[in-house]
Amino acid sequence: MNSNGTPKQKFIFTDSGRMEKILSQYPDKRSATLPLLHLAQTQEGFITGAIIDAVAQYTEIHPAEVMDCVSFYTMFFRRPLGTNKLQVCQTLSCSLNGADDFVDHITQKYGTKPGETTSDGKFTLLKVECLGSCGTAPVIQINNDYHEGLSINELDKLLDSIP
Amino acid sequence: MPLLKIDDKEIQVESGTTILETAIASGIEIPYYCYHPALEVVGSCRMCLVQVEGMSKLQVSCNTFIGEVHPDRKVNGKYDMVVYTQNELVVKERKNILEFLLLNHPLDCPVCDQAGECYLQDYSFKFGNAHSRFEEEKRVRPNEYLGSQIVINHNRCILCSRCVRFTQEISGTSELFVEARGYNSKIAALEDKPLDNLLAGNVADICPVGALLSTDYIHKNRIWNLEQKPSICQDCSVGCNVDVFSQQDQIFRLTARENQDVNGYFMCDIGRYGFHRFEKIERISHPMVRNGKSFNVLDWDEAIKKTADLIEKSKEKTAGIVSPFHTNESNYLLGLLMKETLGYLPPITGEEITFPTKFRISADRSPNLRGVNDICGDLVKDFTSIIKTRDIRGLYILDDGVDRKLDDSWKDILAKMDFVIVQSYAMTELAKSAHIVLPGLAPFEREGTITNDKGRIQWLRPSLATKGDSKPDWEILMLVRNALHKESEYFADLGEVIKKMGDQFPNYSGISLFKIGTQGMALT
Repeated sequence: MNSNGTPKQKFIFTDSGRMEKILSQYPDKRSATLPLLHLAQTQEGFITGAIIDAVAQYTEIHPAEVMDCVSFYTMFFRRPLGTNKLQVCQTLSCSLNGADDFVDHITQKYGTKPGETTSDGKFTLLKVECLGSCGTAPVIQINNDYHEGLSINELDKLLDSIP
Repeated sequence: MPLLKIDDKEIQVESGTTILETAIASGIEIPYYCYHPALEVVGSCRMCLVQVEGMSKLQVSCNTFIGEVHPDRKVNGKYDMVVYTQNELVVKERKNILEFLLLNHPLDCPVCDQAGECYLQDYSFKFGNAHSRFEEEKRVRPNEYLGSQIVINHNRCILCSRCVRFTQEISGTSELFVEARGYNSKIAALEDKPLDNLLAGNVADICPVGALLSTDYIHKNRIWNLEQKPSICQDCSVGCNVDVFSQQDQIFRLTARENQDVNGYFMCDIGRYGFHRFEKIERISHPMVRNGKSFNVLDWDEAIKKTADLIEKSKEKTAGIVSPFHTNESNYLLGLLMKETLGYLPPITGEEITFPTKFRISADRSPNLRGVNDICGDLVKDFTSIIKTRDIRGLYILDDGVDRKLDDSWKDILAKMDFVIVQSYAMTELAKSAHIVLPGLAPFEREGTITNDKGRIQWLRPSLATKGDSKPDWEILMLVRNALHKESEYFADLGEVIKKMGDQFPNYSGISLFKIGTQGMALT
């Protein structure tokens, strides 16, 4: 498997203070793997091969073990995505309450199928499994924020309000 | 000590052992895939489920530990644990687990290299269902190379993670990992960090199914056509215990044979694939005597007589060149035959490699240097220069079969000799320059004892038949020696040679092939 096919330039954490703090929080360095990956993904937008190598070096584990971790969790992206990740919940409650209409609407509005990114790189549409907010279905997570119980109109306004 | 009852059997065990370990030790069969005695327990395959009295769900026996319970809580007033491995619930559960494991399995046993030694086959036969209720399409993935010598067939993989744990715990290289999760899980290696360490071949051995395959053996033969013989690896002085798999005296593969005092469960790839170099050698099939620039073929009687006559004639001026590639007995007999043994041909050396679990590959890449030093006493390091200064007119050389270029100093020595007898299985440059060539045996044909670098003596048993008219090296030397002695002093067989060797060298006294057995013994 390829480490994203990205050129192997050395990855450097721009927020080195935060990185040091994360590392210092764990007696066992390998425990810092997940938070370091999140920090790196926030910086780079997705997990590159260089990030895998850098995190492996800081946590003193083999890059394959970091990749094991990255590939296990769905919130780590292994390819470049749009600036805003539109993550529509697909699980039971949301599905019954019109999540599929969300997906159709976004596909129509921007011409992107699930998994695709708009040509201007602004949006990526993703189908995700249970976001754990069944009581307020349907739920769409845009980047790190939940937007709950929206109608199609409200969703439309919300999308237009994103700069 | 806790008292345990497994089915009808009462067993007393140490606290802290697991049910599975106890069952294996007591000869009770519990099926398993992911458990391996050398690796950490993960309990991922669920094949070893058993019922434990007082526990509501079935338990994985590989990860259920036995301990002493309070007297009030003992089952039937005496058992610390009561385990059922054959009851209706367990049998039904096993069927279900097997059905799950086979959901996406291609059932391509007719073309699978594991067929015949596959735990999926064995357990399906013993515990499984004859049919599957799965009606969807099976997940199909292409084969992938994990390293230059290892291919993975994802469709056959049951994700037991033995291979992943092997690279993490035994080789310490961690190249393998489980990619993704759930339905999408598969064993993978990073493209720029493939599985190419010197223990990589072991992952194909420990794979309980036909998922991991060695490119060296893939589609070469069927396992039931091969003869399996216990042997010792002769590619370094660790002396890993191996099994040789051959058909019609052609080796198809080597696998590691368990020996906790030497190699544990594993072997390195140098030894695993080392047998290939014996495939394309020019074998000597008959005794030969020099006739000008070429050789004449002799029969054995003539050859032995000629050799004995040459030695007899200049007994005081002959010397032997022993070999760390030969058995203790051959070297010992050469010592008896010659006035003195000088040394051995330049040794083969490499890098000393130690893995985290103490698995070793020795820098000395000959199998029996320790034995040579034990048996042959004072050997000179640079014996070629010693020969020049001494009045030695005849040499008897145990050739190790390594085709070395003869340098000028060797050519000078050989030119100076009245006779040079070379005993070898390969037509090396040295053999080509000899006056008499005696055909011995190649490494996996030999019989005798070898001593590893830690002083453990092991029985090297012949795995292949002898080729052509060649004879065991110890037998040739014994025959030459017998020709030089009265009948009352003859040696009859290998056992007698070992006994005489023991009389002379206290370290080796009292040993016999029977005592050495399959696991070897430590010299005192």
